[in-house]
Order: sequence, then C-alpha cells, then structure tokens
Amino acid sequence: MRAIDSMTPVSNSAEDRAARRPWLSRLPRESRDTLFLLAVIAWTVLPHTGHLPYWCIALTALVLLWRCRLAITLAPLPGRWWLLGLLASAAGATFMTYQSLLGKDPGVTLAVVLMALKTLELRARRDAFVVFFLGFFLVLTHFLYSQSLLVALAMVVSVWGLLTALVLAHMPVGQPALRQAASLAARTAFWGAPIMALLFVLFPRVGPLWGVPQDGVSKTGLSNRMTMGSIAELAQDDSIAMRLRFLGPGGAPPPAQHQYFRGPVFGHFDGREWRALGAQQPSMFPLAMRPRAELAVQGPALRYEVTLEPLKLTILPLLEVSSVPPAIDGYAVAQRSDLRWETDRPVFERLRFQAEAHVRFSHGPQDPVLGLQEYVELPPGYNPRTLTWAAALRREPRYVNADSIALAQAVMNHIHSAGFAYTLAPGVYGEDDPRAAIDEFWLDRRQGFCEHFAAAFVVVMRALDIPARIVTGYQGMDADPVDGYYVVRQNAAHAWAEYWVPGKGWLRADPTSAVAPDRIQRNLVLRPEPGLVAGAWDRVSPAFLSGLRDVWDAANNRWNQWVLSYSRGAQFNLLKSLGLSSADWQDLAWLLLSSMSALALAVVGWAWWDRARVDPWQRQREVLRARLQGLGVASASHDAPRSLASRVRDQLGKRGTRLAELLELLDLQHYGPAARSRPDPALTREFKVQARVAARSAPERIALTSAP
Amino acid sequence: MFRNLRVSVLRPDEVNLAALARPFNGIGLQFRQGLRRWWQLRAAPSDIHVMTQRNVYILPTRAGLMFALTVLTLLLASINYQLNLGYLLTFLLAGSGVVSMHWTHNTLRGLRLHLKPISAVFAGGQALLEVVLTAPASDRQPRYGIGLAAHSANDDRLSWVDVPAGGQVTTQLSSLVAARGVQPLPRLTIQTRFPLGLFRAWTIWRPATSVLAYPRPEIDPPELPGASGGSGWVQSRTAADGESDGIRTYRRGDPFKTIVWRKAAKMLDAGGELLSRETTATGVKTIWLDWQDCTPLPPESRLSRLAAWVLEADRLGLRYGLRLPTGSLGPDHGEQHRRACLVALAVWQ
Repeated sequence: MRAIDSMTPVSNSAEDRAARRPWLSRLPRESRDTLFLLAVIAWTVLPHTGHLPYWCIALTALVLLWRCRLAITLAPLPGRWWLLGLLASAAGATFMTYQSLLGKDPGVTLAVVLMALKTLELRARRDAFVVFFLGFFLVLTHFLYSQSLLVALAMVVSVWGLLTALVLAHMPVGQPALRQAASLAARTAFWGAPIMALLFVLFPRVGPLWGVPQDGVSKTGLSNRMTMGSIAELAQDDSIAMRLRFLGPGGAPPPAQHQYFRGPVFGHFDGREWRALGAQQPSMFPLAMRPRAELAVQGPALRYEVTLEPLKLTILPLLEVSSVPPAIDGYAVAQRSDLRWETDRPVFERLRFQAEAHVRFSHGPQDPVLGLQEYVELPPGYNPRTLTWAAALRREPRYVNADSIALAQAVMNHIHSAGFAYTLAPGVYGEDDPRAAIDEFWLDRRQGFCEHFAAAFVVVMRALDIPARIVTGYQGMDADPVDGYYVVRQNAAHAWAEYWVPGKGWLRADPTSAVAPDRIQRNLVLRPEPGLVAGAWDRVSPAFLSGLRDVWDAANNRWNQWVLSYSRGAQFNLLKSLGLSSADWQDLAWLLLSSMSALALAVVGWAWWDRARVDPWQRQREVLRARLQGLGVASASHDAPRSLASRVRDQLGKRGTRLAELLELLDLQHYGPAARSRPDPALTREFKVQARVAARSAPERIALTSAP
Repeated sequence: MFRNLRVSVLRPDEVNLAALARPFNGIGLQFRQGLRRWWQLRAAPSDIHVMTQRNVYILPTRAGLMFALTVLTLLLASINYQLNLGYLLTFLLAGSGVVSMHWTHNTLRGLRLHLKPISAVFAGGQALLEVVLTAPASDRQPRYGIGLAAHSANDDRLSWVDVPAGGQVTTQLSSLVAARGVQPLPRLTIQTRFPLGLFRAWTIWRPATSVLAYPRPEIDPPELPGASGGSGWVQSRTAADGESDGIRTYRRGDPFKTIVWRKAAKMLDAGGELLSRETTATGVKTIWLDWQDCTPLPPESRLSRLAAWVLEADRLGLRYGLRLPTGSLGPDHGEQHRRACLVALAVWQ
C-alpha cells in the first residue's frame, strides 16, 4: 500500500512533465520541422500584405493553414493536378488584377503564390531546397518596397529562420532541438558576416544593367506634373525626403523664411495640369529667346551636406539658391534656366553630397525677353470669373499705375484679408465645372492648400499680364536636429510662386504665407486629423511618444548614413582615405580580390596550423616530459602521469618529491572525479620552476653523470 | 584544399581506371600504371582511418549550384534596383555559403575511424561492421550529420551519426559477403552535407581487416552420415542420459542440452555458475563428417553440405570429426570445435 502511495506522485509528476513539454516538441520530427518552415514562410510573406491583392493574401493563408493541418495529421499531400489547377487560377487572377504578369507587383504576387503552393509539394530534398531559395528571393522583394530599419530587422529574422530550417534538414539524427539548429544557423551567419561586410564595402557599385520598369514613381515626393490635390496627398506622408547637415560655424540652418528647396518649376498650365516648360511641355520659342537663369548671388555661401532619399526623379531639391553644381559620383548634374538642379538619370539610390547655397540672390532676365510671353499664357475659356476679378483689380484707381510688385502685394493682401482658410481637406475643386476650378477656389469656397494658393496666385498674376510660374519643392524642416542632422519630410512639400519684374528678374511670392504665416515662419505643417486610436495614443503621452520617435529617427538616420547611402561615391572616398588618390572601380576590384585572397590564405594557414594541432593534454605532457628528460628521467609518450610520478620518486629521490606531487595532481586533474576540461597552465609553470630547482640542488650528480 | 578539389574531380574510386586510361593507350602503359600506383598509395588499406586534408574531398552539391544561382539572381536584382539592403542579403548568403564549405570539410577532418573485431559470417549473409568514430579531444562542438555507407550507396542506405564533442560513437553497417573464405571488407564512404547541404565532403576508407566467411550451409541437407546405418547413436544417447554421472561447472561452448537446468535456478540464485553434465566419450556416438561422403557433388557444394552437417551435429551435441582431403579435425564437440571445423571449411583450397 505504501509503495503504491509513494508511486502515485511520481507518475503524476512524470505526466505533468510530459504535459509541460512544449507542444511542438511532442510532434513527430517531420511534422515539427514542416510547421517551423511554414511559420518562417508566413513571417516572410507577412510584411507583403500591404501591397498584395486580397485574393492572394487569402489564398496564401488558406494554403499555409491547409499545409499545417496536413503536417499535424500526417495526411498525404494533394496530387499534382490540384496544384497545377491552383497555380493556373492564381496566374489568371494575377493577370486580372494587374493586366500583366510582368513587373514588380504581379511578380511579387506570383512569387508569394508559388511559395505557398510549393509547400504543398514538399516531397523530396529538391523541393525543400526550392522552398528555401524561393524564401531568400521573397526576402529580397521586400526591399523593392522599403529598405527601412524595421523591414531589415524583420528580414534578419526571416533569413535566420530559413537558415535554421536548412540546418535542421541536415541534422538527420534523432530530434534536434529547434534552439540548437537556430544557434548553429546563427553561427554560420556570424562567421559569414565578415565576408558580407568586406563584399558590401568593396564590391564595385555599378548602375542598373538594364532598364528597370519604373513603377512606384508616384508614391514618393515631388513629381514632374502638378494637379490639384497632388501635394495635399504628400502631406499625409511623414517619411523623410532628405537630411541636411550645415557645415558653417555652429552648424546653424538658414532662417525659416529662407528654407526653400527648389524642385520642379511649372510654367505651362492647360487648365487642369501644370507642366514644366521645356521639359514636359515644348516651348514655342527658340532657346535664345527664352528667359535665362542669369543668377547673381550675394553674401556669404552656406555649405551643407545633403543625404537625399531616392526620389526616383532627375530633380535634386537643393536649398535656394545653390549656385555651384554639387559633385555626385556617377551622375552629371546641371542647373536649368529655371534654376532647378537636374541629374542625367533618375536617382534610385540614396545620395550624399555637399552643396553651397546663397540665401540672397537675384535671377532671371533684367529686361523683357520674348520667351516671357509663355509665362502669361492662360488656357482660353478657363476660369472666366477670376480673369474678370483680376481685370477689376487692375481697373481700381489706386492700381492703375501700379507696378508688378505693388499688384502682387495687393493680391497677397487680398488672400490675407478675404477670409481664405488653409486646410488639408478642402474637398475637390472643379467637380461641377472642370473649367472653373480656380474660380471656385478664388471666389467661392476659399479653402485650400499651398498648391491652390500658388496656382490661383499665378493665374491672377498672369491675368494681370505679369509673367508668373509655380515652383514646387520643400519648405521648412524639423525644428530640432537629430544627431546633428536636420530632417526634411515629405509633408514639407510645398508650392509657391515666382513673378517677373523688369529690372529685378524673378521674385518669389509665397501666397501660403499670407494665409498661414505659421506654415512658413515656424514650419508648422498641417497634420491630417488623427484617427480615433492614434488620437488616444497622442493624449496618453505626447512627450514620451515624440521622445521615442526621436530615438527611432536617430537609429534610422545612422542606418541611412552608414548602410543605405553607401554608394559608389562613398566607396571612392574610402579608397581615397586609404591613400589611393585617383580611385576607380578597378582599384576597388583589385582591393576586393586581394583582401579575399588574403582571407582565403588566412583560412589555409589556419587549416595548416590545425593539422599540426595536438590534444592540449598531450602537449602539456610533452613539455613535462622534456623537463624530466633534462633531469635524466626517461619516459615514453604513453606513460600516465601517475607512473611517471613513481618513476620520479624512484630515480630522483627526495629532490623529486615536489615534481612527483605535481604529476599526481596532474593525474587527478586529467582523470580524477573532478577532472578539468583543459590543462592547467599554472601547473606547467610550477613544474618548470621545480624542475629548475631540482636541477640546481644536485650539481654533483650531474657532474658525475657527465664526467665520463 | 585545392589539391583535394582537383583530386576529387576525378573521383577515382568510382572511375574505372582502365576505362579512364583507354584513350591514353598510345601514351603508354607507364601513365596508367602511374595513375594506379598513385591511387593505391592514396587509398592504401589501413586499420585506422584518420581524416586529414589529404583524404577528405569536397564538391558542391546540386543544391549548392542552385544556391549559387539564387545568390547570382539576388545580386543582379540588387544591382538593377540599386538595393543596398539587397547587396547585404546577397553577400550574407554568399558568406554563409563559404563558411558552410569550411564547416562541411571540418565536420570530417580530424575524425578517427576504426572497426571493432568482426565476427565471421556465412557466405551469402550480412557481415556486421561496427565502426567507431572518435572525435579529437580538442573538439568543443559536436559533429553533426555524418553518414556512413559500405560501397557508394544511395543516401537512403546511409547510416547517420552525430559525434559528440571529443567523444566516440559506434555505428553499425552491414555488408553482403558473397563467397566463402577470407574476404576483404568493402570500401566505406563517410560523408556529410552539414550544415547547409551546399557541399558534400566525403572520404573513402579501405579497411585493412578482412572478414572470414564460412561456406553457405546447404539448405535441407541429407541426414548425418553416422545416422544412416541405423539409429544406434540415438539409443546410446538415451542410455547415457540415465547414468547421471559426472557433473562439472559450465564451460563456454557446452551445448544447452548438457546443462543441468533443474539445478540452474538454485545455483544462479546462490551466485554460483551453471552446471553441465559431463558426457562421457562412450555415452555419445562419434560420427565422422567426411569429404568423401558427398562424392557426386562439386567441391563448393560439398563444403556447403559439410558446413550444414557441422551445424547439425553441433546442435545435437554430438561428438564429430571432420575429414577433408587435406587433413582431419577432431573428433570433439563444443563451440571451439565447431568454429575450428567451419574455419577449416572456409579456408579450404
């Protein structure tokens, strides 16, 4: 009875232990490995949900769940015809969604579907490898959308998971723990990291090998055309457009009213859309008759460093006005007649370069040129009421003889005083009558965003026969620098106007400042109304959140500075700092090859050394044996320390006592119950000392043996 | 390593050297002999196989080539889309691949292999090879996923082991022994693909030990020769049973029939040994298994029949002798004698 009683708790605890073991490790090995691989795949696909069609997300989730079920129940996999049917319908759905099977989005959709379906065909080793390699490819597709720190971290987990699954597939014995496989995979990647770093730093960066389909251009920043509402969309986007570091004394930025970054300039208006004259819209005049830049700068130059996010445009939005072309490796940079800076090809990489700006400048022809005619043209039949309003202004007695500057001031005053409101959500203009969109804004609703004000201002100026144009770009930046870098966000995108005055050239007028001076003076950008949840968050602790955001921005900035903006220019700078004055890509390749060879040689050297490596215990014993040899005690390499000790006692007598004790200690260290894992260097040192002592203490004996 | 790579391209173990050298007949015998001598030297049979730089070969697997293709695709995509993060991914994978190559090679390098003594088998049976893998004491990590196979077998016939850090592991392989006599052991292949399966490292070991194969016993042999004259020996055996004369302690090789089972439990319980009944020479009939008794058969079949008789006689606990044209053994009984007879049959020329 007692025996049974005492047995019961034991068996209970054993059951408990079985129950407490993680559910995953109780599955058969094959099921567990498959589930792990499925989890890794799900994690890899997950960040794509934002840009995949709904059917694709649903199909992928369904297939993965189905596969999970099959893995747990150990049921047979579906037949090949099932898969072919699913694949064909997925391809059909992709074509229906995108009208194409090529390009970025359809490609990613198909890759995700293929990945999901391939898990249903995991039969042979080859299938597993296809899944792994498709997984690595899926990881890369994320970078087409974003290369942010967050995505990078998520993908590190994915790659780790895939490598773990790969290692797991090559541990055929027993049921190795996932943690063990993960640590082995991490070790592979860890030792691979130096090679990665070396290749990343030295692999010559070349431009795209062939034309890349230009999708996703509309997503970022400025564009080459402007329609009503396009900049308002940007205001929703607080991602970073560029970072600036001012190299002047104190690193101070120019005052807020001078923080204009000049982007595309629009001179042509067709009633709905603004286009750049000369670039998008052919000019009517020959080059000689068009207004030229005629830039004259005054005052000291302000040097600054720009880290520009890839805008996927040829435009470089530089501080007004930058007069010297910035040196950017791999790009030819030129300034156009409207002062915008252009590269010879669209920029798809993060660029870092230095530029110079003068906040005091004048530009444009002093005297009228024929080409200015294009800047007073308005599409006939559009916005008749605004034209009438302008004519009425002109007829007012006080403006009869007024010059362009006074008229511009009058229009600005009107904006300031006539009840205009600055809002991000003005609604859509021109819905009733597309030919009267500006009329509706200027005379009826009077609510708008910078682009509305700038467009209306330019239309009114042109109606007054004053040449005018819209300039777009960014205005203002985050008030406080992060890590010494001032951040310009996409929501700082702005539109303003320039009008031409004889004898003065083009003058800047920012009608937005007349209605919302804060926007210009204090860089207060409009924020879209937060959603309910986000609003609650903000109320919890705005200071904490903004602190968090600063830390995150700083980390992101480092990431951008060190990793993402590493380009050909940075490579050449590195070579220059290594002492190669005229660095080119051949030097780079040479350096890469030689460092790789050095690495390979180091590995060969290590292998050679490793070959000669012996057991550390054996090595220690050889050292001790050499000392004993010096004292005249012969020994063989297979002698155990204990037998050596008794031999030492026999042959050296009293003077060998200490040595014999050390040998017995060594025997305990190596074979005893509390054996050490590695030899004790202190023992070796002590043995050498004692051997010297023993040698000194019996000189006559040595003399005797050496006498004959 | 490069030398190994070059060597392994030839895969000399699987190449018929004569066929390889056939196109070079014009060049002469010398080259062919040189090649053979070189390979013999390289793969000389040995009792202990230590894997070193010189005998571990490594080549990328099909998956490794696929991996290289994947990395190349990733590199092209990174270049074309100017993705710095893509470069990082590409180079991380490339780096891991290179590391995995060394790791795969290191998994084998330094291992010591030896065989436990192999017990003799009957021809047509499977010899059981017990291979002991010893990791060097300096190892601090286990070595995973090592596959062993006799001949060059497919993966599914591999027997997989992990060798603990600085420890030993024993694994069993079986190998078909076709003919009787002292047979050389098959060539053993030891390979691994750990950790990533991109490379396969392997080594080939020709164990110097050989296995002794007894003749394959004839199935359903005719009755033992002594019994054909009548059933005399059985009767005398029954008579011998009655006189429970000499009893002695059990000796290895005593037939189970002679054990005094009635006393066994008591003796074992008291910590003693088993007892055997001493069978006197007069109690059991002596028979001779004679080469001449199998006259019409060819020599190999005679050996098979004699082997079957030896087994049968031993099973019945008889005293038996073996008479071959080259000499005779016995008569005697017991394990020693049985083995001596079988060995004599195995090595008979």
